[in-house]
Formats: sequence, C-alpha cells, structure tokens
Amino acid sequence: MAVNSKTKIVDAYIDYVLTHNEKPNSVYVFTKNIKMKEGDFYNHFSSFDAIDSDIWLELLEQTITDIQNQEVYQNYSTREKALAFYYTFTENLKNKRSFAVYSIKQAGKSFHTPAIFKKMKASFEQYADALIAEGLDSQELTERKFISDKYKDALWVQLAFIVNFWVTDDSAGFEKTDEAIEKGINVTFDLMSRSPIDNLIEYGKFLAKNGKITYEGAK
Amino acid sequence: MKEQNSIPVSKIERSAKFVGTGFKIGGNYIKHYSKKLINPEHSRDELNEDNAADIYNSLSQLKGSALKVAQMLSMDKNILPKAYVDKFSQAQYSAPPLSGPLVVRTFTKYFGQTPEKIFDTFDIKSSNAASIGQVHKATLNGKKLAIKIQYPGVGDSISSDLKLIKPFAFRLLGMSEKELDVYLKEVEERLVEETDYELELRRSQSFAKACSSIPNIVFPSYYPELSSSRIITMDWMPGMHLREYLKTNPSQESRNKIGQALWDFYSFQQHRMRAVHADPHPGNFLITPEGNLGIIDFGCIKEIPDDFYVPFFSYTFSNVLQDKDKTIANFRKLQMIWDTDTPAQVEFYYKNYKEMIELFASPYAAEEFDFAPEDYFKKLYYYGERISKMKEFKQARGVKHFIYVNRTNFGLYSILHELKAKVNTRTYTPDLSIWHS
Repeated sequence: MAVNSKTKIVDAYIDYVLTHNEKPNSVYVFTKNIKMKEGDFYNHFSSFDAIDSDIWLELLEQTITDIQNQEVYQNYSTREKALAFYYTFTENLKNKRSFAVYSIKQAGKSFHTPAIFKKMKASFEQYADALIAEGLDSQELTERKFISDKYKDALWVQLAFIVNFWVTDDSAGFEKTDEAIEKGINVTFDLMSRSPIDNLIEYGKFLAKNGKITYEGAK
Repeated sequence: MKEQNSIPVSKIERSAKFVGTGFKIGGNYIKHYSKKLINPEHSRDELNEDNAADIYNSLSQLKGSALKVAQMLSMDKNILPKAYVDKFSQAQYSAPPLSGPLVVRTFTKYFGQTPEKIFDTFDIKSSNAASIGQVHKATLNGKKLAIKIQYPGVGDSISSDLKLIKPFAFRLLGMSEKELDVYLKEVEERLVEETDYELELRRSQSFAKACSSIPNIVFPSYYPELSSSRIITMDWMPGMHLREYLKTNPSQESRNKIGQALWDFYSFQQHRMRAVHADPHPGNFLITPEGNLGIIDFGCIKEIPDDFYVPFFSYTFSNVLQDKDKTIANFRKLQMIWDTDTPAQVEFYYKNYKEMIELFASPYAAEEFDFAPEDYFKKLYYYGERISKMKEFKQARGVKHFIYVNRTNFGLYSILHELKAKVNTRTYTPDLSIWHS
C-alpha cells in the first residue's frame, strides 16, 4: 500500500511536470487532483524538489544493482567497472529522458551541486569510494598524497559532464555519449594510474637526496 | 546547436594528430638534407621510411576510416614508394580494442540483454581487431560463433577523417585537391557503406548464395536475428590467415588450389555478377583445415557499371588492343584520354596506358598464368614507379571506378604472388558477345 502510493505520487508528478513544464502550484492542489490525502504525500516527500531528488537517487541505486547483477562485473578491473557504471547509468536514464532533461534544466547551472542531486551525489560517492579503494588496493590506481582523496570528485565531475553531454546529444542511439564515456573515463583512469609524472617526481626526489648538486657550505 | 559544437572538438583533436605528423615530416626532411650535406650518397629511401613511420603512427591512433585509407593506400603498391607500403601494410592487422563494458553496452542497446544472457559463452576480450570494429568469440547451442562489433561513431567521423587525409593523400599521390575530390568521394561512399552492418549482412548472405557453386570456397553462415546495425553474428570459421598458412610450407598443389579458388571467386564476381568484394587484403581470407578458402568479410562491395566494364575488360577478352583507333576510342570513354588533349598528348597517353593495360591483362593472355615469378611484379612495380615520376601523370585521369577495380585486381594479383600460385585464368569468362554486338 505504502509503496503503491509512493509510485503513484512519483508517476503523477512526472506526468504533471512534463505536460505543464512546471511544478504543481501546491501540494494541496496536486494531491487533490490525484485523489489522495495531503498527509499521504508528506509521509513520503517533504516537497516537490524531494521527488526530483528521490528519482535521481533511485536511478543511481538501480544502476549499481544492475551492474552488480552482471556476471562479468566482478571480473572487471576498476576502470572497466567504472565504464560499466556510466554506460548502465545512461542506459537507465534513457527510460526517463524527458524527465531528466526537464529536471536538469530546472536545476539550472551553478557552481555548487544543485539540491536535487545532493542525495544522489552522496550515494555515488559511497560507490566511488569503494571503487577507488579497490583500485588502490590492487595498485591499478596510484596513491598520491592529498590528490588521491580527490579521485572521487573527478568521477563525480565526469558523471555531471556525461549527463549534461547526453542531454544535448542528438546522435542516433546516443552514440556520441558512448564515445564521450569511453574516451573520458579512460583519460580519467589514465590520470589516476601510475604515470611518467610519478616517475619523474620520484627521480627528482632521488636526485635531491643523492645527487651531486650540493652546497659548498653545507659540508 | 550543442551538437555542432561537439563535432569540431573531435576534429580539432584529430587535426592535432595530423599537425604533429606534419611537423615530424618536416623534421625528417631536415634530417635528410643535413645527412645529405655530410654524405651525398644518403638515399631518399631512409627519408621515405622515416616519413612513413610517422604517418603510420598518427594514422594508427586515429583508427576508423583513417586506418582504412591507410590500408587502401597500402594495397595500391604501384603508386606508393616501397617504404610507405611496408609501413602501411602493418595497418592491415591490429587496432586498439573497445572496452568490455562498451561491448556489453552495445548488446544491451540493440538486444536489451547482456551478451552473457544471449549466448552460452561470450568472450569479453576481443580476438581480432578490424579497422572499424572488433571480433569476439561466443558459443550458442554448441555452435562456435564470431561476433563483429563496430566502434561507435565510426560512420560520423568518415567524412571529417577524409578531409584531414586529403593534404596527405595529395602529398603522397601528387594530385591537386580538386582532382582528388572525385576519387575521395568514391572512397567515402564505399567507406560509409562499410559502416552499414545491416547492408553488409544482406550482401554477405546474397554473395555467399550466388558464389556457392564455385569449388573450394566456403562462407560462414550468418545469423540475422543476432545482428543489428552495429553487430554481425556469424559462424566462427577455423583456419589460418594467409601469412600463417604460408609459414607451414604448403605444397605447390595446395597453394594452387587456394589460388585457383581465389581467382575463381573474383572472376565470377567481376564477369558474372558485375559486383565485387573490393577488399582483397589478406585479413579477409582464411585457409580452413580442409584446405579450402574461407571468405569472411563483405563490407566493401564495388558494383561495376556496364559503361566501365565493357570498355575496360574488352582489353582482356578481345583483341581491341591491336586496333589503335578502337583502343583510343575506349580510352576516351574511360576518360584516360580527354577531348582537350593535343595529338601529341593523345599519342603519349595512348602509349603509356596501353602498356599498363597490357600488364594488367597479362594473366588473361594464356589459359594458365603463373603468379610466382618476380619478373611480372617487377614490371608492374617499375611501371608504377616510372609513371609516378612523370609530370603528365600528376593529373588525375580515368573514371572513378578505376580506384576500386584496380585495388581489387592488383590486390588479387599480389595475394596470388605471395601464394606463388599457378591458376587457370579462363574459368569464368564473360559473355563474349557484348564486344561483337
């Protein structure tokens, strides 16, 4: 029963915003139209924005469940796991494209994460943290002081970028989004893995300690 | 609006690659001339080799259609200096793979299911790379399958890749851009067709059916229900590629059998079907354990229209070449001689093109032709070298159909040469009445 009324609210809400291209005026009018008590609405959501927020969170959690259900997923490297995540996310997003486009436009562009993505972000960071920890553990990714804490932010930025790219992508089957994922995630992971720069820094450190460049006066 | 923004971005990336090459080539020339200052004997071969390596390196990073053009240039051994050819030949095999998740994604997109749900087993690591896709092994109901998956975005990048390749093609071939356009358009058409997997599937099935009477040739079965615009599913064909096969030191008899099968396959298509598998690079053929020839790729098909076929092949199947006036009339039809040419030019092109046609037609001259001797190929090569240096041939002459017909036939000849095969060249001759009516 409870689940039912929640889905009912979400479906009616999506239908409303897509037909009217704006949020309902008040919870009172909205619940009246779908023949529901106002109290039932507040049992599930505190506001309309909370519905948006919940839909995004659900999308993310569904994606994580979906990829973990794929047999190959466990055998993937961290890089491949991340790729699988982004591909599945955009795949799932496709079923809600109209809503997603509306929701993102409503949220507007700002430097900070819009409120409706906060819950999703928290959940994504949990997933990303676990993924990065796994990568660091297997040494697929490189531990770097201060920087490795920011890896998860890089993955979040990628997610935001890909979703925005997808919103304006008009190629058949969103093929360009696939390319954006394949190329972008590979670059991100290349940067997080051991690179010539690391070796250069190591070498620099070595030279500083053992090199012949010494001060005359230091003796 | 946004969409338009995204195209130039990738184009800039690609251009950057080519600019890099340009600088390097500049550097190679400097190297060449400085070495020459010290040692006047220093040969241009080394320079060509340096250039070829750099061009190849940037091409192989581009993948897709640029790689395809590299393959194509490598087939046309006659117009390219040898060093380019050797480097470009490497493009015929590997290219960097698609990630596992993208493979899974492609399946869920077209079939709504992951490959592990569709097939009994599915090898997520690709077993070969093709220029516009890669091949995976799978099994279903005890059958081994080969599944070809296309890289995303290949179709879109073709025309921009070709534009980028233009200045290079123009450098390599020494033609003006405008003259090159007609030919590049022909190439673009074929390349775009190649990215259409639905078309390829239909053609594969119809060619396999039409060619089923040719002895010693086998085709895989195709599975339309497991194919889509980005995926082709066919039987896994066991066998060796040409080079591996040659390493096993096959007997002359075995090589003749393969060579004959190959010759028959092409003759049948050119003279009976008037449409030909125009991608005779060794990666598209397999020699099966039974010693038959397996044909595994129908991406590139060139249809040969009558107004090209009749004048061109009249040289091989009739004695037109003995008759100077008729020959010149045919050359005019094929735009090898232009109406604006002076009598001296007509004479010049007549002489040189006659030589080319004679070379081309040599295998047809007698019932049997031995592709093993170097002589014939040296003649071809020297002819190519010689005309590539003549300023008269800087102009692009000849109708656009020459590109693929030449590529097909010279490709075929060079494979037969590698096989050192002796073949009967009169197995599938055309209906001769067309030249006497």
